[in-house]
Amino acid sequence: MAVHSDSASSGKKSSNGPNELLTFNAENMQNNMKIIYYSRTFLSIIGGVVAGILGFTGLKGFVFYLLLMGLTSLGLVAKAGFSTHTYFDSWNRVLLDGFLGGLMSFVLFWTFAYDIVHIF
Amino acid sequence: MGLGFLVGFLGFLILIHAAYSTIQYRGLLKITEEEFSGPPLNVVIEVTLGLVLCMWAALTVPGKFLSIHPDSEENRIVSLPANLDFMIFNHRYKVFSVELDVKLKH
Repeated sequence: MAVHSDSASSGKKSSNGPNELLTFNAENMQNNMKIIYYSRTFLSIIGGVVAGILGFTGLKGFVFYLLLMGLTSLGLVAKAGFSTHTYFDSWNRVLLDGFLGGLMSFVLFWTFAYDIVHIF
Repeated sequence: MGLGFLVGFLGFLILIHAAYSTIQYRGLLKITEEEFSGPPLNVVIEVTLGLVLCMWAALTVPGKFLSIHPDSEENRIVSLPANLDFMIFNHRYKVFSVELDVKLKH
């Protein structure tokens, strides 16, 4: 009995091995990506306002954005309970997706807040 | 959900207040004719607090992550009807109706 169940599980594993990447729930994956985009966009807007209030100019602001996104990634990984592979198929989804799109909103709100606080 | 929104709104209000304090500080500097070297300490504290609150809101408001493994515990019930092979279009009346027809004919 033990031998039989053992062989069955090993057979299942070997058949699952090559197409492991294809067998995930795409609907839930999309839901997770939506959550990531939401978090990143909101935090880049808030980060832009903060950078504008603190009066960052030039490269300092971009370094601030980099730090903020690193912090956000850390928060998202912590939200996933440090087991990213149950919720995402690769690390890039958590670390990189939404980075450039967020940068646009960051620069927009950065200049907006800087103008309001420091120039007018 | 409601709590997260409230916290995010509070963080945003704190940020607006910090911006207003900075504007006042710059007005003060204009009067005393000094250069702006950096934001005052209370603005930095307010901004940090607002950022932390907003970060908490940004991480909680969008909802929970769902597992993408097809064989995980929470996906079991959902994935069964998603597979069309498991859909059944038979029901008890299908058998019943024949008998009723037979009865009516007699």
